[in-house]
Amino acid sequence: MKFLLFTLLSALLVVFLNIVSPYWVVMIALTVLAGLIRPSVWGGFFGGGLGMGLVWLGQTVYISAVTSSTLPDKMGALMGLGSGLSLMVLTAVLGFILGGCSGLLGVMFRNLVQKKRTDVYLG
Amino acid sequence: MKYISFLGTLLLTGALGVLVSLPFGQIPPIAPLLDPNHGFWQNSFSEDQLAEEALSLENLNAAVEVVYDEQLIPHIYAENELDLYRAQGYITAKHRLWQMEFQTRAASGRLSEIVGPMALELDRMTRRKGLAYGAEKGISYLTENDPATLALVEAYADGVNQYIAQLSDARLPVEYKILNYRPEAWSAYKSLLLLKYMSDMLVGDRDLEYSNLKKILGKVNLDRLYPEFPSENDPVIEKERVWDFTSLAPAKPDSLNYPEETLHLEPLVQPTEGTGSNNWAVSGKKTKNGNPILANDPHLSLNLPSLWYSMQLSTPQHTVKGATLPGALGVISGFNENIAWGVTNATKDTRDWYKITFQDASRKAYKYGKDWKPTEFRVEKIAVKGQEVFLDTVVYTHYGPVVYDQSFKSDRQDVNFALRWIVHQGTSNEQKTFIQLNKATNHEQYTEALKDYAAPAQNFVFASKSGDIAMRIQGKFPLKWKEQGKFFMDGADPRMEWQGYIPFEHNASTLNPERGFVSSANQHPVDSTYPYYVFDNSYEHYRNRRLNRELSRMEQITVEDMKGLQYDSYNLQAAESLPVMLNLLASYGESSKEAQKYLTDLKSWDFFADPAKKGQTLYSIWFAETSESIWRELMEQGAPVLRPNNYQTIALMSTFPEDAIFDVHMAEGIQTAQYHVRVGFDSLLVAMKNWESKEGDYGWADYKKTTIQHLVPNFKAFSVTEVYTGGGSGILNATGSRHGASWRMVVELGSTINAFGIYPGGQSGNPGSRFYDNFIPIWAKGDYVNFDLRKKVDQKGVLFKTTLK
Repeated sequence: MKFLLFTLLSALLVVFLNIVSPYWVVMIALTVLAGLIRPSVWGGFFGGGLGMGLVWLGQTVYISAVTSSTLPDKMGALMGLGSGLSLMVLTAVLGFILGGCSGLLGVMFRNLVQKKRTDVYLG
Repeated sequence: MKYISFLGTLLLTGALGVLVSLPFGQIPPIAPLLDPNHGFWQNSFSEDQLAEEALSLENLNAAVEVVYDEQLIPHIYAENELDLYRAQGYITAKHRLWQMEFQTRAASGRLSEIVGPMALELDRMTRRKGLAYGAEKGISYLTENDPATLALVEAYADGVNQYIAQLSDARLPVEYKILNYRPEAWSAYKSLLLLKYMSDMLVGDRDLEYSNLKKILGKVNLDRLYPEFPSENDPVIEKERVWDFTSLAPAKPDSLNYPEETLHLEPLVQPTEGTGSNNWAVSGKKTKNGNPILANDPHLSLNLPSLWYSMQLSTPQHTVKGATLPGALGVISGFNENIAWGVTNATKDTRDWYKITFQDASRKAYKYGKDWKPTEFRVEKIAVKGQEVFLDTVVYTHYGPVVYDQSFKSDRQDVNFALRWIVHQGTSNEQKTFIQLNKATNHEQYTEALKDYAAPAQNFVFASKSGDIAMRIQGKFPLKWKEQGKFFMDGADPRMEWQGYIPFEHNASTLNPERGFVSSANQHPVDSTYPYYVFDNSYEHYRNRRLNRELSRMEQITVEDMKGLQYDSYNLQAAESLPVMLNLLASYGESSKEAQKYLTDLKSWDFFADPAKKGQTLYSIWFAETSESIWRELMEQGAPVLRPNNYQTIALMSTFPEDAIFDVHMAEGIQTAQYHVRVGFDSLLVAMKNWESKEGDYGWADYKKTTIQHLVPNFKAFSVTEVYTGGGSGILNATGSRHGASWRMVVELGSTINAFGIYPGGQSGNPGSRFYDNFIPIWAKGDYVNFDLRKKVDQKGVLFKTTLK
């Protein structure tokens, strides 16, 4: 349940925050979000990853559709990747890794803090 | 354990976040580039999808309205000139920022900052030529003498800078994202620098090659192979023109000594062959509607984003439209409600070299007459991406900078030459010329506007609604005695100095000549009766004659006729030389089936270089190979020299085919022109066999492969290759493989102006926009888009409108 919630909120966060902020601010925000929601370790990684990766993929698909621009293909050729399609995949994978690591970090941090608190409580 | 996994994840995530923000060699930071909200994806939008109704531009006196037509050509309506140029700067930057910046960086020798050490030698050369030095002097000149123009240039700069300040990551041109740098502030200095850069693009000199040729061939043979006037001279200013002034031309001093050594310097980069232009105007008596018609097509390197950017600029006092240069104010080639004008390069040898004799190794003084004159040192600090700053000390003499010296491109330690060039003098005001031309309403104001214009010298064609047509060859031309500056000169001899400048009133010009048209195509400016010394190696011999023959022949001329003439692909050189070559070839090689096929193509060819014509391909290879064979021994002298031009080569082949010049010393027996034509034909067979097996079809367009290249040649995907179009060097449609008509304009000056224009590119500088290269197919076919003047209230064909306030 937390996994789904985290994935959804991550996606929304990327959609809105990324418009005004660079990717690294989004990463920090995802870390904080994961810390607040505290999904499982795997949930943090995949939730953040899917949230950011799918949104980035969706945005590239959307931009390509509404603009019909040849730029993705040109960039693909320029970077030696062939077509614009491979750049979409690359963007999605990059988004997934950045989002995933951020989510994971948030969970790890929360676990760390939580552990301390547990110690204090038990003590 | 949890600490370890936390720290591990922290390190991993942190490292990842940093890693994707760093460049690796030539690979830009990957995350900012791919981020769909800020990276290159955002450059996929075309301008109409990002249209904004209002934008903020400070320091305006009144709101400025910008109306884009369906080709994304902005029409700017301002209440006064300061607002107009502020808006021009802002709007130009909005569509062409990266290009303006890149070109001025190139002009100031600062490419190494962006691309690294690979550009260092180029940057050193640019700086040693003194372009930036000239622009700095230009700014001081404006500050002291023309604050009104300076205020306009500064308003333009302010407009550019306000755009840069508002620029979001998303809207940053994609080239910045790939090359990983940011735009820096624009300035009035950069606008002047851009005009100096045009000089650099258009002006060449062959003093080095001529100095060597004089040594190798001797003066008599030099004059025979490289005559200063061709036998059939068809100059810019009609031959009938009478020069009704007293010449100030200086007499040639006696017993001059030239530096005698054969020089092994590397010559300066020259304007590429095929760089040139056409312009003409026909008077109402030759046109169908009785209105003057003016046409202009400057030929330059074909690049993307295009060098040109179309605009209409309006105030309540004037409305002007045409081609602008991003970075410079006003319209450069265009028309207003009363007049039209256009430019072609009017090259005259305005760059000269002086041998400098330094007093000692410190280079603090050099010999001049009986004295020693002090030098100045200018230290060029060249920032290099990924390396330390490179310091280059350039010695300046009163002639100009010593371009080649012990530290730069000379294998002779004792050879130092200073470059004398108009560009180094700050006393010109080209920007004012264009601002005044934009507003001129008649011939008098056009002439007045040209008074401030020094370089690069241009043939300014003119036509007015009131019925005048005119041509003026305008530049600041040094007064020279015969052959001064044709060869390297001795800087220690004061008699070698330029003797002043040809007065403005003595520059060649004509108004309403009897023949009913004026025209220029980079040929000799005048005939030999002009009382000043005129010399350049690069004068055209074919386009001009074709153009003048057609204009003389034509009557009842329409705009369509003039468009047709700009696209004319008749190869006069081939028409004059192919029969000679076929005659010399005689029955040679006819036994081979392949040779027969090519000869049939050649014999049935009508001399038009249309895209599908095979004869043009075969002729161009055959002639090039023949010329190569004729001049091979001359070119292999071990020092930089140049070949006699095609016109002279053909004249020798047809008039003196048995001349000793055709003899090959290395070969047995005596060779004549016939030998070279046959060698050339054999080479043609080899080249065609190779071509046909690799590429197949040899129609002209398939062979020449016209390419419109992005300003960064490595960005191949941003170039447009293999454009299917005809024409070539020496042909009115001068479109070769990398050069050609960079802008075509035809204007009929009737009661309402009827105008057409096109250039091989598009209004947008963004490779992702649908307006990036949309003009190219239209241009390739010889078609145009409508360029009529628009009123603010016109509603037809509006793409979108923006108010600047």
